[in-house]
Amino acid sequence: MTALGHIRLEGVVKRHGETTVLHGVDLEIKAGEFFVLLGPSGSGKTTTLRILAGLEAVSGGRVLMDGVDVTGTEPGERDVAMVFQSYALYPHMTVAQNIGFPLRMVGTPKAAIDTAVADAARRVEIGHLLDRRPGQLSGGQQQRVALARAIVRQPRLFLLDEPLSNLDARLRMETRLELKQLHRSLGVTTVYVTHDQEEAMTLADRVAVFMDGRIVQVASPREIFDRPAAVSVAGFIGTPAMNLVPAVWTNDRVEFAGASHPVAARTATPRDITLGVRPGALRMAATGSSARVAFVETLGDHAVLDLVAGSERLRLRTDTPDAPAEDTEVQLVFDPKAAHLFDRASGQRLA
Amino acid sequence: MSASTVHHARSGPAAAGRATSRKIVLGVVAGLLVSVWVFPVLWALLTSFKSERDVLAYPPTVIFTPTLANYQEVLFGASSVLPNLWSSLVVSVGATVLTMLFAVPASYALARLRYPGKRASGFYVLATQMLPPVGLIIPYYLVLQRVGWLDTYTGLIIIYLTFSLPFAIWLMVSYFEDIPYEMEEAGLLDRAGRLRTLWYIILPQASGGIAVTTVFVFLNAWNEFLFAVVLGGNQVRPVTVAMFNFISVEQTQWARLAAGAIVAMAPVILVGLFAQRHIVKGLTVGAVKGGGRR
Repeated sequence: MTALGHIRLEGVVKRHGETTVLHGVDLEIKAGEFFVLLGPSGSGKTTTLRILAGLEAVSGGRVLMDGVDVTGTEPGERDVAMVFQSYALYPHMTVAQNIGFPLRMVGTPKAAIDTAVADAARRVEIGHLLDRRPGQLSGGQQQRVALARAIVRQPRLFLLDEPLSNLDARLRMETRLELKQLHRSLGVTTVYVTHDQEEAMTLADRVAVFMDGRIVQVASPREIFDRPAAVSVAGFIGTPAMNLVPAVWTNDRVEFAGASHPVAARTATPRDITLGVRPGALRMAATGSSARVAFVETLGDHAVLDLVAGSERLRLRTDTPDAPAEDTEVQLVFDPKAAHLFDRASGQRLA
Repeated sequence: MSASTVHHARSGPAAAGRATSRKIVLGVVAGLLVSVWVFPVLWALLTSFKSERDVLAYPPTVIFTPTLANYQEVLFGASSVLPNLWSSLVVSVGATVLTMLFAVPASYALARLRYPGKRASGFYVLATQMLPPVGLIIPYYLVLQRVGWLDTYTGLIIIYLTFSLPFAIWLMVSYFEDIPYEMEEAGLLDRAGRLRTLWYIILPQASGGIAVTTVFVFLNAWNEFLFAVVLGGNQVRPVTVAMFNFISVEQTQWARLAAGAIVAMAPVILVGLFAQRHIVKGLTVGAVKGGGRR
């Protein structure tokens, strides 16, 4: 047997009465992987996590862990640990009792619990807080206690439900790094739910993007950014969001806003598409699609231009010194390789 | 205390003066309110040390020769209330223990389960409290008579359950509702299972509310008079009924009645002092959280 923590979802469906929350999710998570479930709220990512935890029953499909069907298994018997968004620390217990609780419940001897608690607390740097109660801790410290309670058991799977969302921006960045380091040193399969694409990009080995109860794409963060599988993913990943405009694709050129641009792929028959170009890939040139600068947002070393081209609004990112004045006309071009072409009707990626 | 000192240090003497006068007004109002509750108890205490002659003196006097005769009589005399205290204790403890035994799991279930008509059943529980007890006396009497439980502890305790159980459930549901669902979920994931999650995680967090409810249920049972006087008898005669015997057609023995009342109060006051910390905590928690949610 190799490393534990291999997870497989097969056709998992979840319904709440009339509404379907998950429409048949298939997913395979490798042992030791840091896997992020990313999507807007209501997309089904948290439901998927709760199904992995055993807190929600499935309406159809199977959940397998290390080849064993655990679909009907109680949460406590799955050998998984979870960090809740609210941390769910037990307020009447000290930090040490909180961390040691999952061990106490399986009859671990007192001395062994103490050692394990001390070790887990040291890993998340809260060794000095063991005698406090959760109410006496800051949000960041509470979060660490929740983490320690999860790692103390050395489970085969960690489930993290938006664990950083209640921290302030600076602490979030720090903790993000520490989470990554913790994962590296423990090597335990980790499933992490977030709606924050930046967290997904920085933490994940692979990401599953959820939209409306379906997985739209499973890939590495790099690939999701470079080759989004659908318009919905393209619009969700990247800040500022990718420009998505209707265009016509003929041979190896794309027509939009009164100009024709070369693209890297050919089409045999002309077709209506949605053209995607990231704000950073859009450039100003002598000739191209013309647009009017409606607004300039200066963000330190770079600026974001709000452009109007016909009935479409576009955004362009440039270095601050290059930004034109508001209300001037500019001509837009882009690198042929930077164009994302999606079928206009289905939203699926063409090239 | 330190907070108010800081407050004074920051604001000038004028503000400090305002704060002082505010405190005086607050003190007077609080004093008036408290006296409404304290006066009867104080008067009963005074009366209990008077002779029957001093009791009837008019105008009433606060200066008299104190006597312990009344206590002598109600504790060790012919009309001793000690057996009745024992009766009260058995009935109250019995009713309280049984009530809490059923009410804790019931209110937890009511707080967590979602079923159609939950709101209506909550109202029904409350509505049972709206029935005037007098209206129930005759049916209860007939039922107890039929099963032969008149003048028995079993009978009286079961009758007490009919009003204490709905009351306790209604009071405790909101405490359980205030505990987030994640607590159970964390417990389940931490391998505690349903029962141990309830025992180790949920109940400790509801302990304030459970303590408050226990005290209220006990007090209600201890002070109950109407059911006790009708459904009890020579065997089961709680202290409230025994005190009633000091009031007769010929005369009312006010001093003895007062001494009996003080004796009857003593155990309750002990319970109150013992549970005070929990009561205050439980009441405020329920008030703040419950108030915010509805």
